[in-house]
Amino acid sequence: MTGTTLTRGYVIIWIWLLALMTVSLFANTLPVSRPAIVTLMFVVAAVKAVLVALNFMHLRLEAWLIYAIATAPMLLVFGLMLALFPDFVLPR
Amino acid sequence: MSAATPTYAGTAGAAARGKVGIWWFLASEVMLFGGLISSFVISRLGGSAHVEHDHLNVTVAAINTFILLSSSYTMVEAYAAAERGDRRGMRVFLGLTVLGGLAFLGIKAYEYTGEITHGFTPWAGTFWSFYYTMTGLHALHVLIGVIANATLCLGARLGLERPYRVELAGLYWHFVDIVWIFLFPLVYLS
Amino acid sequence: MSHASPTVTAVRGPHEATGFFRTYLYATDHKMIARQYLLLGLIMAVVGGYLSYAMRWQLAWPDTEVPGFGFVGPETYNVLVTNHGTIMVFFVAMPILLGSFGNFLIPLMIGARDMAFPRLNALSFWLLALGSAVVLVSFLVPGGAASAGWTGYPPLSAKAEYTGVDWGLTLWLLAHAIEFAAFLLGGVNFLTTIVTMRAPGLGFGRLPLIIWQQATAAILFLLSVGPLIAGAIMLLMDRIVGTGFFLPERGGEPLLWQHLFWFFGHPEVYVVLLPALGAVLEIFPVFSRKPIFGYTLVVWATIVAGALSFIVWAHHMFVSGMDPRLAMPFSITTILISVPFALAVFAMIASLYRGSIAFELPMLWALAFLAMFTTGGLTGIFLGSAPSDIYLNGTYFVVAHFHYTLISAVIFGGYAGIYYWFPKMFGRMLGTRLGQLHFWSTLVSFNVVFFPLHWIGIAGMVRRIANPLQYDMIAPHQWINVVSTVALFGLVASQLVFFVNFFVSQLRGRPAPANPWEATTLEWTTPSPPPHGNWGEALPVVGRGPYEYSVPGATRDWLPQRTGAAAAEARP
Repeated sequence: MTGTTLTRGYVIIWIWLLALMTVSLFANTLPVSRPAIVTLMFVVAAVKAVLVALNFMHLRLEAWLIYAIATAPMLLVFGLMLALFPDFVLPR
Repeated sequence: MSAATPTYAGTAGAAARGKVGIWWFLASEVMLFGGLISSFVISRLGGSAHVEHDHLNVTVAAINTFILLSSSYTMVEAYAAAERGDRRGMRVFLGLTVLGGLAFLGIKAYEYTGEITHGFTPWAGTFWSFYYTMTGLHALHVLIGVIANATLCLGARLGLERPYRVELAGLYWHFVDIVWIFLFPLVYLS
Repeated sequence: MSHASPTVTAVRGPHEATGFFRTYLYATDHKMIARQYLLLGLIMAVVGGYLSYAMRWQLAWPDTEVPGFGFVGPETYNVLVTNHGTIMVFFVAMPILLGSFGNFLIPLMIGARDMAFPRLNALSFWLLALGSAVVLVSFLVPGGAASAGWTGYPPLSAKAEYTGVDWGLTLWLLAHAIEFAAFLLGGVNFLTTIVTMRAPGLGFGRLPLIIWQQATAAILFLLSVGPLIAGAIMLLMDRIVGTGFFLPERGGEPLLWQHLFWFFGHPEVYVVLLPALGAVLEIFPVFSRKPIFGYTLVVWATIVAGALSFIVWAHHMFVSGMDPRLAMPFSITTILISVPFALAVFAMIASLYRGSIAFELPMLWALAFLAMFTTGGLTGIFLGSAPSDIYLNGTYFVVAHFHYTLISAVIFGGYAGIYYWFPKMFGRMLGTRLGQLHFWSTLVSFNVVFFPLHWIGIAGMVRRIANPLQYDMIAPHQWINVVSTVALFGLVASQLVFFVNFFVSQLRGRPAPANPWEATTLEWTTPSPPPHGNWGEALPVVGRGPYEYSVPGATRDWLPQRTGAAAAEARP
């Protein structure tokens, strides 16, 4: 991982992040349904998170072990949230 | 990462150990924020926590988002400079990152003040309880990151810099940024 | 005897700690930290045992003065139940099985000189010491210590008015937050050490099984405790700031706490169990002079059990009022998780089959673990399936079940490990005469304390009642409570035997050779106790797997993992 070659890449990623932020800021004005807007916002957030993780955190240069450490908790959080749905969200 | 580190005190070994360690730590942090955010999400979808957008300052939060995203960029540039052996660049970018973190905290404090003076205290309802707990825990992490980065910046001034430490602090800082990337739409936008 | 030579003093690496402060207080040597954890765990075990004594006395002879404690009554009884549970799990089991065994064995078994982050290691221990101090202090504040049960369910725990305990419960929560931080940092340290610091030649497939179990336990803790910390923050906010996360009248969800708690709570029992299982798995091959049966099988069983432990938690909540649609999937995963554990138990039994078994003390404890753990595991099947659990939930059947599983882990597995590694840890042999007395009296009294509790539980005695005589249906069975309490006196007395043996042997025990049990793993190729830096000048090189006993054609019945002269010299 050498810094010199990546620096220009970092600027591009930063610009992407700001552009995506702008998209989610103005998503509320889009002429589509509310669930679609919310979905868009979280897809955008996920893309931003992946951009930061892959580039700024250099995940794309890492070994499989680091990938595993990074993704396992995400899956667990997702599973936890789904398991909570019957009790708190779904109608009885 | 499967290669064993045969030397005991070499800095290369320390960098590899530090990186594996910080990733394990971040995994536990994902679970911490994940547990809290999951609780908020199900309370919201279940109807017990109504979001009160009208009383949140979205413009100020957007500025804060901009600042935190940019500080992530300066952090990664600080690491790039450290890798190049560019001490001055490293100090400048670390300093900028610290400033970004401080600005974020200042603006957050301004936001809190406004909300509390309008009567939206942490005990004003489930949404506000979650709002203060989530953003407060995040702000605490920002504060820790600011302290870490400032320590590295001052250490570099004294000639104590080790490039891998900048990378480790950066991993933490970017994680804090990612948490905000999710909190921002969750609390302010959707 | 040992491979220590005069040149060892010139070893590159950490400087030998000197002076009282560096040796005992700000110690960064993993072996000293392991001893610190062990001592702290034993001290807290005395506290937890004292609480259980007062509790059992109250159950046998309700509302009489407890000698050496005083009058108990319902409020104090709640304090006893709560703190006995959390102290034993978080401040005894974890410090001894993870803190002490993990810290001592990981660097020695993987051929490292210390943990990956020695100073962080010291921080972990002192955080735990701080947490222990906070727990003890919580007994002294006005209003007394926490009394909302070890699970701390809100709304009971969310407001001071409900229990009458204000600062005691807040401090209790705080103490556990500190404990979690300590073991989080400890877990990061364990995992980093195992991943990055294995000796040359020591691939993952050659790791001793206890290292796999410690790693799995660390991962389970690391990944399960976050949601509970989040819940604890919310509960503290409810208590201190006045939010209503868990208060129904304020729109909160008390059930959410139960989910967050048990999402951690179930993996946590494996965090305690796995290191004990690992210790037993280390001991069986040594004292039956056979390789472990199915190394790969046990590794996979550990990983699968660890993964499954994240999706069984709601079996603790069948009667909580949660959505009944969750009961079926969680029953299924619970029954499923007995499969990997059954595999591990079968692997253990197969490892013993036709071995030349030596009934040394570590082996006795390990065998007792196997028997007791299987008993506890079998009663778990009754509790894991929703229909029978709805009847048994909250009764003394549950109490008997988890004491059979947890005590088999902490007491039988823990003592197996302590008796086995004591020579390496302290450089002297643990006395066998007192050891035999300790083992047999513990085994008998433990069973007399806890086995009858199954019956009284089925008869309908529920947990957390201060006076069983108030209930007509339990009163005829009161003799069971008396028998159990009298046996507890025996159990406590046999631990005193251990304490005497433990401290006397450290001072007067027979000096231990480097490898008293003729075991193969790396730690037995260092002197007892190992010097600072563990390995002298050169790191060990590993040439084979961990359990090469009775290899056909070999000149002796064990082949050390370590290659080279040092391994040969380490023969007793």
